[in-house]
Amino acid sequence: MKYFFRKLISMLLTLLAVSFIVFAAFAVIPGDAAVSRLGSNATEESVAALRAEMGLDRPFLERYLSWLGDCVKGDFGTSISYGMPVGQLILDKLPITLTMTVLSLILTVGLSVPIALLMCKYARSRFDRSMYGLNQFVMSIPAFFLGILLTWFFGMVLKWFRPGGYVSYKKDFGAFLGYLLLPAIAIAIPKCAMSVKLLRSAVLTEADKEYVRTAYSRGMSTMEVLYRHVLKNALIPLITFWGMTVADMIAGSIVVEQVFNIPGLGRILLTSISRRDYPVVEGIILLIAVVVLLVNFLVDILYRKVDPRLEDQG
Amino acid sequence: MKLLEVVDFGIEFHDHDRPEQVVEGVNFSLEQGGILGIVGESGSGKSMTALAIAGLLPRKKLKKEGHIYFEGKDVLRMDRTELRELQGDEICMIFQEPQSCLNPVMRIGPQVEEALRVHRKEMSAEERRARALERLRDVELTDAERVYDSYPHELSGGMRQRVMIAAAMVGSPHLLIADEPTTALDVTVQAQIIQLLKRLNEDEKLAILFISHDLSLIRQISHSVLVMQHGKLVESGPVERIFEDPQEEYTKNLIAAIPKVKL
Repeated sequence: MKYFFRKLISMLLTLLAVSFIVFAAFAVIPGDAAVSRLGSNATEESVAALRAEMGLDRPFLERYLSWLGDCVKGDFGTSISYGMPVGQLILDKLPITLTMTVLSLILTVGLSVPIALLMCKYARSRFDRSMYGLNQFVMSIPAFFLGILLTWFFGMVLKWFRPGGYVSYKKDFGAFLGYLLLPAIAIAIPKCAMSVKLLRSAVLTEADKEYVRTAYSRGMSTMEVLYRHVLKNALIPLITFWGMTVADMIAGSIVVEQVFNIPGLGRILLTSISRRDYPVVEGIILLIAVVVLLVNFLVDILYRKVDPRLEDQG
Repeated sequence: MKLLEVVDFGIEFHDHDRPEQVVEGVNFSLEQGGILGIVGESGSGKSMTALAIAGLLPRKKLKKEGHIYFEGKDVLRMDRTELRELQGDEICMIFQEPQSCLNPVMRIGPQVEEALRVHRKEMSAEERRARALERLRDVELTDAERVYDSYPHELSGGMRQRVMIAAAMVGSPHLLIADEPTTALDVTVQAQIIQLLKRLNEDEKLAILFISHDLSLIRQISHSVLVMQHGKLVESGPVERIFEDPQEEYTKNLIAAIPKVKL
């Protein structure tokens, strides 16, 4: 209990630091929201007037504190280019990116575990070796390029779906999932290859341990031994990797959303950066920070669930 | 019919350029309810022989010669399915390091029950639990319920070895192979484990193959003894004969090396 309290405090402090850095970055980098809204031909007076109206002329610290206060109350400001509250804008797009991330994670875990165990069952055989080579190859293909290949193959050659098509989750959730499946696969495949590589070596290390011999001495088959005994031990290092992967997937979705023309968080993040729509960018970065911290927290809990030896160390 | 009969047994390693004979021409047998002690230094081939009987030697990179008849059937010529039916049901094994032989992330209960889950598919979860608790009490773990729900790291070394014995005994096997089961334990716990094994042998007519480098332990527990050196059988016979009237020089030296305690 004390452990979780400590963890919570450190999470809040990290969040505070992230919020400050994000806010400071927009004060330092060149480019001005007022100028970008009015265009470069605007007169200096009109720019100054808009800056005053937007509160950009106040001192930095004052602006930061009032923004932070509003954020705590759940008000992330209003988007300059969309004219919508940032909170609502993000809330609208979040389900898309989140669904895609969850889908990719399910694919990554769901595929890598059986593949890795099968490779371990036939370790150093021809099957294992060729899978290892294929794995190495797949790992080095970036997700966006895989996305292009998948779109071309399933969309243009097989014509299974309309490239660039998209159905809102509010309209038809099933079709929405269908359109997210390919981007999720594109994100998942390289991650899956990395998981397979890590899991294979973790399983093979565990398989030499003596408790595995004990399990065999009870008459269990290789697959039973791998699933019941080895897997849980081998997953301990993988949990950390999958935790990091979630953060990476959210970031990776920005590019992949472009390839598949999906109006998720990545889309509004990119347009907002180019338009200096700093409330939106700040909001999204804060959100990503919150997700990463939450996932890390979850990883810690899971870690303790899987490895009882950690529980006693407090 | 003898419970276990080993005939001209040998092992040849093929993991290097030249094949290496690690066990050669070993013959012995074990009666139902008997205790056979195998003694020898490390590298004498005693553990290899034990693993071969339990069907736990790898299939690749080594060649097994001769025959190991268990209840009349040759273990060395069984396919994997036949072998698995014996393992954990009729032949069980305990090892030197109870710490590393238990799965660290699994509670004790499921590990003790495992042989039942594999071999007695008709048993319900409650029946398995009841049987496991009974076995935990049989190995003198009084707090069986608590042990059942513990993780291995929460128990002492002696308790862990008792757990290993309970897990081995859960399916009432005919043969227990104990490979240096007390070497990692301190002396008082060692004596308790030996007493426990002797009691199980008497109460349940359990045959035990007891492997150790420690002659005094072998003398305490065995009915007959087998001395091994460099993969070969040096001498075998009833325990009194071996200790009172050793025939071979190597056996004499081993016995002479037992520290004598004067009282």
